[in-house]
Amino acid sequence: MNVFKRKAVLRTEPAKRKKKDPGRKVFVFLCVLPAILFLAVFLYYPIEETFRLSTMKTTGLSNEVFVGTDNYEKLFRDEEFLAGLRHVFSWAFWSIIIQLPLSFFIAFSLTYYSNKLTKPLQAIFYLPNVLPSAITAMLGKFVFAPNYGLIVSLGKALGWKWLASIDFLGNPDLAFWSVFAVATWAYSGFYVIYLMSRIEQIPKDLREAAELDGASMWCYARKIVLPELNYPLRILAILCTVGSLKLFDLPNMMTMGGPGNATVTLGITLYRHGFINWNYGKAAAIGVVIFVLSLVFTILQFSLGRKEDETI
Amino acid sequence: MKKSRIFALCFLVVCLFSTAAVFADEVKLTIWGRDIPDDSADHAYVRALINGFQAKNPDIKVDYIALGDPGLADKTKITMASGSGLPEIFQTWGGSVMGGYADAGMLLDLTNELKGIPGSDAARQAMTWKGKIYGVAPFFAVAGIFVNEGIFKANNLKVPTTIEEFDKVCDTLKAKGIQPFACGEKDKWPALALYMYLTNRYGGEASAKAAARQIPYDSDAFVKAAQLYQSWIKKGYFGSTPLGEGYGDAQQLMATGKAAMHITGSWMCAQYANSEFTDQTIGFYAFPAFKSGGVGSVTDIMGQTDIGFAATKVAASKKDAVVKFLKYAMSAEACEAEPGRICSVPGVKAKSKLTAQAAAVFGTAKTVTFWWDQDLPPSVTSPLNDMLQTFFLQGTDVKKSLSSFEALCVENIGPVKK
Repeated sequence: MNVFKRKAVLRTEPAKRKKKDPGRKVFVFLCVLPAILFLAVFLYYPIEETFRLSTMKTTGLSNEVFVGTDNYEKLFRDEEFLAGLRHVFSWAFWSIIIQLPLSFFIAFSLTYYSNKLTKPLQAIFYLPNVLPSAITAMLGKFVFAPNYGLIVSLGKALGWKWLASIDFLGNPDLAFWSVFAVATWAYSGFYVIYLMSRIEQIPKDLREAAELDGASMWCYARKIVLPELNYPLRILAILCTVGSLKLFDLPNMMTMGGPGNATVTLGITLYRHGFINWNYGKAAAIGVVIFVLSLVFTILQFSLGRKEDETI
Repeated sequence: MKKSRIFALCFLVVCLFSTAAVFADEVKLTIWGRDIPDDSADHAYVRALINGFQAKNPDIKVDYIALGDPGLADKTKITMASGSGLPEIFQTWGGSVMGGYADAGMLLDLTNELKGIPGSDAARQAMTWKGKIYGVAPFFAVAGIFVNEGIFKANNLKVPTTIEEFDKVCDTLKAKGIQPFACGEKDKWPALALYMYLTNRYGGEASAKAAARQIPYDSDAFVKAAQLYQSWIKKGYFGSTPLGEGYGDAQQLMATGKAAMHITGSWMCAQYANSEFTDQTIGFYAFPAFKSGGVGSVTDIMGQTDIGFAATKVAASKKDAVVKFLKYAMSAEACEAEPGRICSVPGVKAKSKLTAQAAAVFGTAKTVTFWWDQDLPPSVTSPLNDMLQTFFLQGTDVKKSLSSFEALCVENIGPVKK
């Protein structure tokens, strides 16, 4: 740690001796100006507008009326919003519990038993990730739909009435898990490829040394690979959480958030309030909630990770 | 050499000016629609409208953009809110959504130009908001019962003429392993037509009174209709997986003879009459009334615009071209191309027996109630369809659901006037 600090000091010393050059500052400012303008127009201004709109009552067409925190108060009494909040949290939780370990298992297996089949398998696992959400949702419906769905047809073919009569998308207790299963298939490919790239960066000598010492595959995975993947897994956990908070496309296209509020998410609630119910103020308030939660979780997960690093 | 260069330059300038002059004379109309004007039978009218108008009016360039559903509604809403990038004409079902745009001053009042166009009163009313006409509705949809006549005949059943008869017919169908009703409630809105009819048959003008805030949405007619609806769901009249099936699935159930009835809009006439879509014999009937104890009658019909167009404020400078287009949209020449929808233009004959039956039902209408999810303020329409879906969930207390909806209406439309 001290070595790095020293190097940094050495690098900054000649700069201190340099004379101040106003022309250089202007040049630097002009170089970063397009980036600043881009961020200001396309990122900070919309964020500021969303915060402002969340304190207004407006249809988007009518005049805006300042209502203070009224939209937020109503949100936390709104069953649909609360259901959406619950669902995104459980989606994030189960993504971390199911999708990440599954992706790690696949990624580790593919790298540990690397052979001629590995490359095509990588492509197969990644393929769902490049499909548009609409196609993914359509395939999901094709699998889980009643009457003609793959699983129901299989049940009918095998004469298993119990399987043929399951309404995966219409039963409130199953709809969430059906959509989640499709998401796991669709999103895990990215996690697999990402983890594989990081596993492949682990020096081969470490594996050879472990094997010489008689370490089993499980022991190698647990004692060497997993600690090396601490940071990448943390990044993926953040992506899972933030992605869950913004979740919209799959549940909206597969179940429209239903039946009832069984698969509703914050994104779907925002869309409905903004575009169908013409309640821009409430939709903006949901946007603010998603923004704040994303920010909090990102900071929290990074800071937790940093503490772990320090203790190591 | 020099002379030839000067000549070429002059020639170029003349060409440029003449081209500019040609474009300056050309009026461009941007039209946002729902359907692609392709070879599909469903899109025959849109195709005939765009191609026919363009051929007849070469000085008006039509830029028709198909946005689909809900793309059209979403893009129109965003553009209306921002106030920029508006098309001259957009497709709409009229009602409160169009009314919201009119209230915001985004639409062009064409009352004087369009009031003389012949058409059905209901269609004109749907495109009218606060006494001003903003567009035209060449096609109008009414809800009724599509009946698989083959199934009914094979089972010696008669199409119910009273609501009381439904139970007997549905029980017989169920016993034979045939699903009585196709619904597709995963999409939420398909349940509305039947609920509107049941409410009307129990309470007459209950919906109009509730919208005018004279009675609440959890009053007697609404509750009774919901309870009857729920009892039919519990009896399995909508099959065992109505919430897992979308509207497309419901159509397939009818098309393949797995369901015997489908209560929905007349826009399905083209498909149900198409031998490539179904080999079943399907008929269209009015929704019956109660034999005793009801208020609404069989001539109270539910429906609204099927295809309509309205003009936006940016069309003010191109009013002549816009009116020309809207008049052509209401012409027999364009409407003749439509194979299935009920035409509001006089003199246009129905292309199929099914459409003729639907048009006959529309012809008997003494009152027409517009779709609640198009006519009520947008702030309550999506919750209305959400609530209807909960009727299909086990253990739903419909009275409680209606009371929650009423509370939302109080907040957004206002309290019941005493």
